[in-house]
Amino acid sequence: MLADQFFLIAHEDRTGRSRLHPRATGLGLAAALLAELVLDGRLGITDGDLMILDRRPPADALAHDVLDLLIAQSRHRDVRTWLAFLSQDAAARVGERLMRLGAVEPVTRRRMLGTQTLYMPNSAEQRNAAAWAGARLANLLVRGVELSVSDRVLVGLVTATGLTRHVLYDFEMHRHAFQALPTAVESLPGDLRELVEFTEASVGSVLTVGRR
Amino acid sequence: MVRNDEAGPDIVGQALAKNRLGVPSVVFFGVAGAAPLTVIIGAISAIYAIIGSTAVPIAYLVVAGILSMFTVGFVAMSRHIVNSGAFYSYISHGLGRVTGVGAAFVALPAYSLMQIGLFGLFGSAASGILAQFGFKVPWFACAIAAWAIVAVLGLLWVDLSGRVLAVLLVAEISIVLLYDLVMVGHPANHHVTFSTFSPAPLLTPVVGSLLVLAIAGFVGFEATVVLSEEAKDPKRTIARATHWAVLLAGLLCSLSAWAMSVATGPDRIAAVAKAHQTDLVFYLVSTHLPTALVDVGYLLFLTSVFAALLAFHAAVARYQFALGREGVLPAAWGHTHPRTGAPLAGSLTQSLLALGVLSAYAAAHAEPLVYVFAWLTTIGGLGVLILMWAASAAVFAFFTRNRRGESVWRAYLAPTLSFLLLSGVLTATLIGFGDLLQVPKSSPFQWLIPALYVGVALVGVIWALIMRAGRPEVYAAIGRGADGRVGAAPDNPVSRPLHADPVGARGRPY
Repeated sequence: MLADQFFLIAHEDRTGRSRLHPRATGLGLAAALLAELVLDGRLGITDGDLMILDRRPPADALAHDVLDLLIAQSRHRDVRTWLAFLSQDAAARVGERLMRLGAVEPVTRRRMLGTQTLYMPNSAEQRNAAAWAGARLANLLVRGVELSVSDRVLVGLVTATGLTRHVLYDFEMHRHAFQALPTAVESLPGDLRELVEFTEASVGSVLTVGRR
Repeated sequence: MVRNDEAGPDIVGQALAKNRLGVPSVVFFGVAGAAPLTVIIGAISAIYAIIGSTAVPIAYLVVAGILSMFTVGFVAMSRHIVNSGAFYSYISHGLGRVTGVGAAFVALPAYSLMQIGLFGLFGSAASGILAQFGFKVPWFACAIAAWAIVAVLGLLWVDLSGRVLAVLLVAEISIVLLYDLVMVGHPANHHVTFSTFSPAPLLTPVVGSLLVLAIAGFVGFEATVVLSEEAKDPKRTIARATHWAVLLAGLLCSLSAWAMSVATGPDRIAAVAKAHQTDLVFYLVSTHLPTALVDVGYLLFLTSVFAALLAFHAAVARYQFALGREGVLPAAWGHTHPRTGAPLAGSLTQSLLALGVLSAYAAAHAEPLVYVFAWLTTIGGLGVLILMWAASAAVFAFFTRNRRGESVWRAYLAPTLSFLLLSGVLTATLIGFGDLLQVPKSSPFQWLIPALYVGVALVGVIWALIMRAGRPEVYAAIGRGADGRVGAAPDNPVSRPLHADPVGARGRPY
């Protein structure tokens, strides 16, 4: 699913560390979770507000959980509020989902204070699959094939959070792909494009403040 | 199925509030930039020495009043624009994007020079302290050591965390209050005088230089609005915290300036200040306090200047980042280090600029306290004053178009008053600028510096016009701060609901 792909791109496969500022990664994952609901027809976005279109529970447990929260807390409609809220624990929750799928394993590390649980690919097979997430996207962009809506959202979130250079790391080989980025986002349906824009705006203000 | 959607606890609101900043944290952020001990030890003694006027305490009170007035409209406007980072984004929302880019071009050298000036203060203070321990180290070596640390921390984007800053600040304020108490407790001629609070000298030509130097001590309070999205209650937290930051700095500086004049006697303060420079306060209290407490003061003074250096460095880098992200500066300035979020190009630019300027001073064997600290911060202060003046006009213009539910006081009266007052200060400053730099009447410096500011503003305006002609889609996004866009069609009506307003101006949905 979309958030899984973003998680695998946004984390180093060998160390499990976030490639971005943790808050930027969280915002990207939160946006991906909302986008999954939009793609599922459960959610719409207009003028920066979320709207629930369909209350039937999605098949995925995490998506179900997020939708239930959106329904229960209907006093909050603002996309940026929900991005900020979901971003707080998005990494752990998407990590757990990937663990259930068998794509990553939990690794608990001692820190200066307390412990920290990272979800990272451990076996060679898992690492291959994780590395493929970014490589697949680069490959699609370089070949210039028609991207699915889900992949275009992924491209948008990768650009919005600042992961572009990690996906398209080879300047020579990926030169054409860079030019395909804006079109991929522009051709998205209105609500998903808005979601990408709000994500970029949130990432921008989080980075400007520079608070951990 | 009908459900009562408003029932139950506000889970989202509570979860977000837990990680957000309250009034004290925002005040610390605002005051830390102004670093009270830096201002009190460094700036106030310099003002006494350079201007020779005794009206410093009242000047700080007057400036705090003017800035409080300015804050009313400024904070009110910050609620209505997204990503309100810096003065220039207010100016582009209020007075148009062309003026906004002009203001940005004034802001860049102004903040940059203030930071470089602080290196002079740090270098001279540190070499003075080392000399007392018997080490002869030139000011340039100390300044370069600080420069290297700031440059590295800036690249790593290490902010002193809120808690460290808070502890330092509380310690600074305590030591200032203690020193003030000692100075007032041992008045010259055994007589405590309040004559330095007399407003009469403010009607003489010296007022311009006094007020601009006092304003330089407040620079940084405007940074609080950057945190509006991180605050518990964006409406009230920021407004209160900004007012507190202005008042706290104003009262503390005024009190200390008065205490110094009491300890020497108002008639001798200028002469004593000239003789002892940044050592003035320590000289005045050292005879009445155990040496340990004086040494703590020296140490806190150094950490305070260093914190201010770091805060200004971050502010300059952040400014360049916002401009790069908007396309006003080349795109390289809009990139951040992916993991840390450090605005690398902006940070490097400022470090290299500082190195260049400091080396030039060292090569010229210029005296650091007068020509690096006093000159550069005064020149930077003039730029910040110009920005504040333009921002107050922008606030007024912004609310004249649409009051947006703010009260008449906040939307019209306070902005008008602060604009008139700041216009007065700016005029007086421009007239007396030569005295401020202590150059003779024939020196070109007294008109060269203001002319250079007009020059860079004009360059900015021309650059904005070029952008409007050549890259209209980039031009349309000016003033949005870091609120960039990936690849949206610029004239898409869905994402631009308020097409009559400047781009990005939309009410906070809280």
